[in-house]
This record gives sequence, C-alpha cells and structure tokens, in this order.
Amino acid sequence: MYANDVKMSWEEVIEETRDFLSEEFEVDRDSILPENSLKDTLDLDSLDYVDLVVLIDENLNVKLTGEDFKGIVTFGDFYQLIRQKLAL
Amino acid sequence: MIVAKGAITDYIPHREPFVMVDNLLGATRERFESDFKVREDNVLVQDGYFQETGLIEHIAQTCAASFGYLDASEGGEPKVGFIGAVSKVLVHELPPVGVTIRTVVTPMHQLGNIYLVKGESSLDGRILLGCELKIVVSE
Repeated sequence: MYANDVKMSWEEVIEETRDFLSEEFEVDRDSILPENSLKDTLDLDSLDYVDLVVLIDENLNVKLTGEDFKGIVTFGDFYQLIRQKLAL
Repeated sequence: MIVAKGAITDYIPHREPFVMVDNLLGATRERFESDFKVREDNVLVQDGYFQETGLIEHIAQTCAASFGYLDASEGGEPKVGFIGAVSKVLVHELPPVGVTIRTVVTPMHQLGNIYLVKGESSLDGRILLGCELKIVVSE
C-alpha cells in the first residue's frame, strides 16, 4: 500500500500507525500492542473516535465509519479492520 | 439566500437574545454559508467588538441552521445539536459593532452522530476567526 506516497509493507503500516497514534494521543508507543484495548490504551471518548478516524484517513487514506468500530476491542482487531479496508 | 433572518428560528432551537445567525445563504452537504450583523445590544459584544465566543457560537449556529434546513428539505425534523469540542482556533481580528460578517463552514468528517466541521468567519474578505468544531447531533 501507499501512505504519504511511499510504498509500505503491512508491517511498516502497523509501525507507522503506532507512531502517529502515540504522538496524537500522547501515550507510550510500547503500550500500543495487538492484545491491548484500543479504547482504554488511547483513553478514547466518543469525540476522540472522530480524531482517530481523521488520523487514519490522513495517514493511511482509509475511511472509517461508526459501523466499522462494532466489534473492535483490541489494536489487533483495529489493525485487521484497516487491513481489510486496504485489501492487503 | 435560502433562509432569511425572519425564518431562521424555524431551523435552530436558539432564541433571542442568543440568535447569532441572520441569513442562511447556502447549505449543501459539502458547504454551509451564512451572514450575521453585529449589533450593539448583542450579549457577546464587549467594548464595541463581537468576541471570540460570539464568533464560535455564530459558526456553530450556522451548522445548526444548515443541518436543520437540510433535514427539513429531506422531509425530516430539525434535530438538536451541541458543540462537543472546539479546536484549532485562530483569531485574526474581532469585528466591530455595525458590520455584517460572513461565515463558511465545511463538514470534513462524520462518525455516527458526530460531525467534524471547519468554520471560517470573514469581513470584507479578511479572515476574522477560523476553528474546527465537533458538533454532536441528537439521534
């Protein structure tokens, strides 16, 4: 896939996602692990989810809807959602 | 103009003295536009100038009027909304009493009933204030 016009592997997509999530939500990058809770780790309220959607759109060119978040608990779930959207 | 001053309260829940939008000049799902004359007796005027809070409220009411107008156009009832968050506020200047300001709002993202919009108010082509708002619309 391409992010910011640079061809990236799936592993690189995950690492870049960890980078911008830790920076935007001011959390330790090492806490962003597949088994950890997305909501609890990033301390998301309903308004913060909009910021998350904007970040994913701007950085990965992936558009998410409210429906997409149903069943998303962990970062692992979230990565799979992005992967599906990217058709990787 | 699509909604004149006299009919604006058909589309927003606000009432005097807290109506901060006059005419709705345009409203599509991609762009809202309104104007507002700053009057001396406006509750958000201080020392002869419409304050930042007034400009932000004006932008929010432009959203409210536009959502209300679009809902009504599609046969629905206008919904109540409120400001969930204000961010990226840039204040360039405050408009004095007596002028008419113009505002353009661009919806950028929607997640369920929360809209992220970018608003910019201007006077004679000069930008007064820009900001982003998260508007939560009741379901």
